Amino acid sequence: MKLDTSGLETFVPPSRGLNVLPSDFTASPAFDLPGCTDFDGFQKNAVQMVKPAKGTTTLAFIFKEGVIVAADSRASMGGYISSQTVKKIIEINPYMIGTMAGGAADCQFWHRNLGIKCRLHELANKRRISVTGASKLLANILYSYRGMGLSVGTMIAGWDETGPGLYYVDSEGGRLKGKRFSVGSGSPYAYAVLDSGYRFDLSIEEAAELARRAIYHATFRDGASGGVASVYYVGPDGWKKLSGDDVGELHYKYYPVVTSSVEQEMAEAPVA
Amino acid sequence: MECIFGLVGDGFALIAADSSAVHSILVHKSNEDKVLVLDSHKLLGVSGEAGDRVQFIEYIQKNVHLYQFRNGIPLNTAAAANFTRGELATALRKNPYFVNILLAGYDKGIGPSLYYIDYIATLHKIDKGAFGYGSYFSLAMMDRYFRSGMSLEEAIDLVDKCIMEIRSRLFVAPPNFVIKIVDQNGAREYAWRESISSD
Amino acid sequence: MALRGDWVYENNGGTCVAIAGSDYCVVAADTRLSVGYSIYTRDYSKICKLADKCVLASSGFQGDMKALQKNLAAKHLIYQHQHNKQMSCPAMARLLSNTLYYKRFFPYYTFNILGGLDNEGKGCVYSYDAVGSYERTGYSCQGTGGNLITPVLDNQLKSPSPLLLPSRDAVTPLSESEAVDLVKDVFASATERDIYTGDKLEIIIVNATGIRQEFLDLRKD
Repeated sequence: MKLDTSGLETFVPPSRGLNVLPSDFTASPAFDLPGCTDFDGFQKNAVQMVKPAKGTTTLAFIFKEGVIVAADSRASMGGYISSQTVKKIIEINPYMIGTMAGGAADCQFWHRNLGIKCRLHELANKRRISVTGASKLLANILYSYRGMGLSVGTMIAGWDETGPGLYYVDSEGGRLKGKRFSVGSGSPYAYAVLDSGYRFDLSIEEAAELARRAIYHATFRDGASGGVASVYYVGPDGWKKLSGDDVGELHYKYYPVVTSSVEQEMAEAPVA
Repeated sequence: MECIFGLVGDGFALIAADSSAVHSILVHKSNEDKVLVLDSHKLLGVSGEAGDRVQFIEYIQKNVHLYQFRNGIPLNTAAAANFTRGELATALRKNPYFVNILLAGYDKGIGPSLYYIDYIATLHKIDKGAFGYGSYFSLAMMDRYFRSGMSLEEAIDLVDKCIMEIRSRLFVAPPNFVIKIVDQNGAREYAWRESISSD
Repeated sequence: MALRGDWVYENNGGTCVAIAGSDYCVVAADTRLSVGYSIYTRDYSKICKLADKCVLASSGFQGDMKALQKNLAAKHLIYQHQHNKQMSCPAMARLLSNTLYYKRFFPYYTFNILGGLDNEGKGCVYSYDAVGSYERTGYSCQGTGGNLITPVLDNQLKSPSPLLLPSRDAVTPLSESEAVDLVKDVFASATERDIYTGDKLEIIIVNATGIRQEFLDLRKD
């Protein structure tokens, strides 16, 4: 087999080959820190440059049949919409999902990391990790990085031996167990719709519709939320995606265009 | 905003705390129990940053249990208070925990006691005390109506007075409170005072 | 580590575009390298071939661009020694994400697009932020011209969101030559309005037959 080392060379100009490997490329990856005198100042500036995706609406609630989790899909940098297709519901394993608010990379990476830890727990203990345990793993990691600029606001939802589970975890180290949460800039709007329509004995269809509507109304009022409203359901057999609707189209489903009645007919003025 | 207060009565001590988990303008939860039953005869009421609060009290609780497992006898309340203070003092010069603590306990031969421990590791034995915005009202209320050797009924009456004053005078008043007591029969939840349903 | 000043980055500009088709992938970037109002060179390749079916285009800070590309290439070399095969594009995408995140507190100031063919031979494009959050898309544009080009690509290629359910196929409906022409057009236009984009366009086309390279001259002012 011929090894492909072309990546070590540049395309243009072709003559300048680069064959010097960095001396530490075999070292296992770790978090580098800048060697500057003022780490806080550096962080502040760096965060400005690689601004995390802000503005989100995510929600989750427990009801009779399990847990419903829903989110929008917009990522914005200031006024610019950098993506309308962000996957804010992260599938940790077939029985557990997490939501993403705050820094996109922080959420994505640590959920991925949590997925690995959960799988290792499964292999070591021959049983799936509880939602309580998984959320605490995440909370402890985030707590150990507190004050270093991580930005995570997540809900861990899943089904374990004790039934449905839902926890809110954030990068300040907070971890709350609860029945109903919403996170992100659109969360006040989502809470209003969610609180007013919530009952424990909702059917799966009703619950999914409530979640969808809460996300829709949040995207309607919050400029930083939008795109697609995704709804997931977690039951005894794991999670399932129930729907993904463009909120632009949802608007016309909830509020169909009614042709306005003509208030005044224009008529030819009679010739005097 | 956070309100936590406690007092010592005749043969018992009690701690009352609000049960709101707040993030800026949002109340994420209104049944968050901020009074930990530390061991069979101790209560730990904590206010402070959400992350620090849980991490710190669980650390203290596990260490108090560890002492009991190792030595076969529990720490008495004064020892637990001094241990807690010591941990806060150590952390203060490294990465401080922003937590304010009321520690209530009952010891055989000593009776009920209440300790005030704040985030800069001040330790003080008191018979009534409070933390948070609600403390302005509850401290004054307790200064006026507290007597040493109050009966349980009188003490609960005073706690209710404090809660009502906080609810009516504090702009950012929390809706729900939990009251826990500790006496010779052990530490336990006594009652909830809820003005909105917590789910 | 030696102590440095408070700030260690520069923005050298540049724009990258990638479009995935059903059986091809087009990755393109201009070759201008500048700082502020000065142009350092008109002939700097921002595209790096990592594997036979995997190309990385980066913009941002040149130092970090080069460091990142060499780092990935070195890791890929080890991968080849260990597995006796080349890394697939989805695997490289995950590696890039982790590599970027491992420098979360001292980021690579680079904005990357990874293009290539996936395990089924379909075109794929992965788009990243500087600290490693990524998503697979049908097309993507990053760098200083990103704000100019993305809306045009949205208009021309609008693919249904991959989040929709029932899902709809998100692959670009264009043929390979149409996609290449579109890329040339958007770069020619971006060059008119972005001072950091220009000089020359380097286009890499990945398809079942292999990798092909094309160039197009852009305005040099």
